[in-house]
Amino acid sequence: MRKTGLQGLLAAAVIQAIVSTAPATAQQAAPTSVINVATIGEPPTLDPATTTSDVVSIITQHVFETLYTFTARWEVAPLLAAAMPTLSEDGKLYTIPLRTGVKFHNGKTMSADDVVASLKRWMEVSARGKLAAPVVESVTASGDTVAIRLRQPFAPLLPLLAMNNGAAVIVPFEIATAGSPIKEFIGTGPYRLIEHRPDQYIRLGRFDGYVSPKGTPDGYAGERKALVDELRFAPVPNANTRVSGMLSGQFQFADSLPSETISQFENSREVKPLVAGPSWPFVIINNTKSKLTGNPLVRQAMLAALGAEDLLTAAFGNPKFFDVDGSIYSAGTIYHDSTTPGYNKPDPKKAAELLKRAGYKGETLRLITSQQFDFMYKMAVVAKQQLEDAGFKVELLVMDWASVVRQREDPNAWESFTSYNTFVPEPSLLTFVNPAYAGWWDTPEKAAALDAFNREMDPAKRAELWKVVQRLLYEQASTLIVGQFRNLAAISAKLDGYQPMPWSAFWNVSIK
Amino acid sequence: MAARLASRLLGMLAVMAFVVTLTFVIVRVVPGDPAAAMLGNEATAEQIAALRARLGLDRPLLVQFAAFLADLARGDLGQSIFLDRPVLVAIGERAELTLALTGLAIALAALIGIPLGILAAVGQGRGRAQVLPTLAMVAASLPSFWIGLTLIKYLAVDLRWFPVSGYGPPEAGFLERLHYLILPATALAIPNSALILRFTRLSMLEVLQDDYIRTAHAKGLPSRTVVLRHALCNALTPIITVLGLTVATLIGGAIVTETVFGLPGIGNLVTSAVVRRDYPVIQGALLVISGVYVVLNILIDVIYMLVDPRIRA
Amino acid sequence: MTGPPASRLALALVVRRVAGRPLLLIAAVVLVAIVAIALCAPLLDLPSPTRLAISRRLRPPSAEHLFGTDEFGRDVLSRTIYGARTSLLVGLLVVAAATVAGTAIGLLAGCIRRLDALLMRFTDALMAFPDILLAIALMASLGPSLFNVVIALTIVYTPRVARIVRGATLVLRELPFVEAAQSFGASPLRIAVKHLLPNVLAPILVQATFLFAYTVLTEAALSFLGAGVPPTTPTWGNMIAAAQQYMHQAGWLILAPGLAIVVTAVSLQLLGDGLRDLLDPRMRQHF
Repeated sequence: MRKTGLQGLLAAAVIQAIVSTAPATAQQAAPTSVINVATIGEPPTLDPATTTSDVVSIITQHVFETLYTFTARWEVAPLLAAAMPTLSEDGKLYTIPLRTGVKFHNGKTMSADDVVASLKRWMEVSARGKLAAPVVESVTASGDTVAIRLRQPFAPLLPLLAMNNGAAVIVPFEIATAGSPIKEFIGTGPYRLIEHRPDQYIRLGRFDGYVSPKGTPDGYAGERKALVDELRFAPVPNANTRVSGMLSGQFQFADSLPSETISQFENSREVKPLVAGPSWPFVIINNTKSKLTGNPLVRQAMLAALGAEDLLTAAFGNPKFFDVDGSIYSAGTIYHDSTTPGYNKPDPKKAAELLKRAGYKGETLRLITSQQFDFMYKMAVVAKQQLEDAGFKVELLVMDWASVVRQREDPNAWESFTSYNTFVPEPSLLTFVNPAYAGWWDTPEKAAALDAFNREMDPAKRAELWKVVQRLLYEQASTLIVGQFRNLAAISAKLDGYQPMPWSAFWNVSIK
Repeated sequence: MAARLASRLLGMLAVMAFVVTLTFVIVRVVPGDPAAAMLGNEATAEQIAALRARLGLDRPLLVQFAAFLADLARGDLGQSIFLDRPVLVAIGERAELTLALTGLAIALAALIGIPLGILAAVGQGRGRAQVLPTLAMVAASLPSFWIGLTLIKYLAVDLRWFPVSGYGPPEAGFLERLHYLILPATALAIPNSALILRFTRLSMLEVLQDDYIRTAHAKGLPSRTVVLRHALCNALTPIITVLGLTVATLIGGAIVTETVFGLPGIGNLVTSAVVRRDYPVIQGALLVISGVYVVLNILIDVIYMLVDPRIRA
Repeated sequence: MTGPPASRLALALVVRRVAGRPLLLIAAVVLVAIVAIALCAPLLDLPSPTRLAISRRLRPPSAEHLFGTDEFGRDVLSRTIYGARTSLLVGLLVVAAATVAGTAIGLLAGCIRRLDALLMRFTDALMAFPDILLAIALMASLGPSLFNVVIALTIVYTPRVARIVRGATLVLRELPFVEAAQSFGASPLRIAVKHLLPNVLAPILVQATFLFAYTVLTEAALSFLGAGVPPTTPTWGNMIAAAQQYMHQAGWLILAPGLAIVVTAVSLQLLGDGLRDLLDPRMRQHF
């Protein structure tokens, strides 16, 4: 009698646990083929227009599609559009033909009105769309085409429309006009959303009514086939747990793994490592509004103090994951430029000399970093020592990323912060050349160089104009390029047909 | 007894009033904000300010506190900013896992701790009497995440006896879910079983010195009967207390364990809410957890009163 | 206990009892050794715990680096020894602050009936949050720094001390010598300081030892969750948190700081247990 109290309590808890799991078991038959993907965390939203977060892009690109997309060589190619647009003589009118018969997940057929409403939403809510909005005069539908009229020629337009983050996704008219972020996740992609349990999983199922573009698969372009019943994305924020989960076979794909775990995968027959390109620029962004780093000589002294090789080795360990290359764009892209004066030539004496000329009196340089991006933190620890060896007084502020984002908006709160830019096919999308972005690099020379670059339509001439921007970046040392880096991903040997791209896609992927 | 219970309940209300205020104060001093956390790396100041305004974070603190109290009075813990659903729903979705995890862990801890505690008490004066409590102390001194990571490395990755993380696929049945919970529950149970062992040993030692036990021994009753029937029954009251206390430390431990094993329980909800600056969720979870703790303590009191006639009097 | 013979007798008693407890003795010796090594760290010709040497990173244990080198090429043993200074300092400061604050609150509650209910409900409210949870929430509010870890953990542990002191005070208050002092018109403050405080010192001391052990462990858990002392400062918790990343390829990294934590926590708890037995008034009555 006496003991029943606690026992009863425990029994009730156990029964509760059984009862609440039981119905879920009864109603769901196991799908026959499933790819389990470990993601770096829970996506903040499933609306790819409203965020530039990578994890959102990776998941939602299976559900939503854009008018254009990229090939493996980062050329723009049609996706929901039937072909490349026709451009008027003055470069101000884009006429985009649409594919016909494309079905949304709710069974509706995509129309030009859906496209216009979606593009208008994009220009209002997307960080990418907002870049285009001031230049766009009108977006109109007629039959199976959409016309975009510009106020002035704007070369980045097509790459912006093709990006899969801050993406110009096409959704039904009713959803596009019902407010953002969208609440119903109806797209045209090869997979549709089945269920989202935050912090547990996102289930995408094959969309039987999918109408694919034609052509050999090439990057994100070409034919897309949903070859498995379900894709499951599980948020696993701890990088070690992702590694363990891959090694034990619980997941078939995971990315953003600690680079030094590569040996674990190289020794495994069931899991293969993937060093995914293209590389991303790893940077230290300087605050041009700060009293200390507002002085270009001080920023030059920083450049002279830093030795990229040690910074990159500390951050990534294995040289497979980085290039000691000070170009903003990595080798192999048309924007690569090996003219990087002062990069990776650590010279504490020269740095000290520059500091003296700048009238430096031991003011503290506050360097912000975050352990949420482990490689940033490790790089910052070494950067601190290198700067101190040159005579700087450095305070390393380590905070979580939410605080970094908040703090960097205050020009009086910091001198430098560590960051990286995900690969963007269009240079004008780089955060650190945007004068509104923290760091506020906005000199007349730079504004002129960037404007000339944005107006030029000819790719070869654009590459030349970009070199001017990079030269200014080095002269003014507004942002210090640390190097180029690549991510470690791992894939189960059982998966077939995977094409390495920076935002991993699983259409055309099957299980052996 | 009714009067005693009534005064306990009144005290509980006072405690909860403090809890509510503390929760709001602690959470709102947090720097950084959900707007910044949600918008990602490329957000501009203007976008962040707009989202802050939409979420009502630009209002004065006192106004926010009043709104918080008014919602609370209606039983509304607010809306999660990040998860886009009511906080109560978010907590409800994860309660099952945390309940199952802590339930399993306390069962394991009791299963290990109580018998070993008795063994240590009975063997007092012999060599092993020193060994068991010392071992228990070592177990209680191991950082719980270290235990978890070690279990993962050997039992899940190398031997593949258990899954590494998570709570199983959506179609998983009861047994499969249990399979996912065994390692985390073990990691959680080890330090707590040490606590239970220590306490069981101490209570048993005290009881074993009592006169009537000596009498029972003198009467020639087999020592197993004496220990199990007479001594254990009397040592039970303090053991129940320590089990109650263990539940509290278990909830704390579950926060670390759920992080190590990627379990989407309440602990995980809170730690990720801190990173996401999801104030309503941090507040709600703090309130629910402390509320459960306070109610549990009252329950233990009641059980105590029922079990121990001396207190009832 | 008055006069020299009695105290000499007591001393002899203590020595005899300590001698009868090898574990207590070992624990005390180990703790003294840990503190001594930590204090003398600069005198022991150790490699620099902070100087980075990227070319020497992640070396396994060798004669040159007994516990290997970490991801920045720093000597793990040296960092563990210097880490002890911070970890023990955090523990010491938290224990000191929580003991002083907790004793004050406990005595106040025990002596002044009107304050008792209010203070105890407040400590109840603080104790209703699990340790780690409260510490994380506080750290998120205060921001990461060594000083803030001390503040957060002090807030977490003060209520425990307060409860124990209050409990002991309530018992003492009913004892004849306190009632006698009251009847002579001694002020409550004087009674608290002169008569109650000396008599609650023993349980406080025992509790402080355990608190020290919990603090070391909680500091480690906070670091693991990324809410502890800034990672640039070597503490045992930070070292373990950093080492867990290299679990698969450099398992030795966790050894030195892990052992340091476990040995320290075990020794402190053994010491606490021993002290409790030594100072337990009921046992003293037997003599």
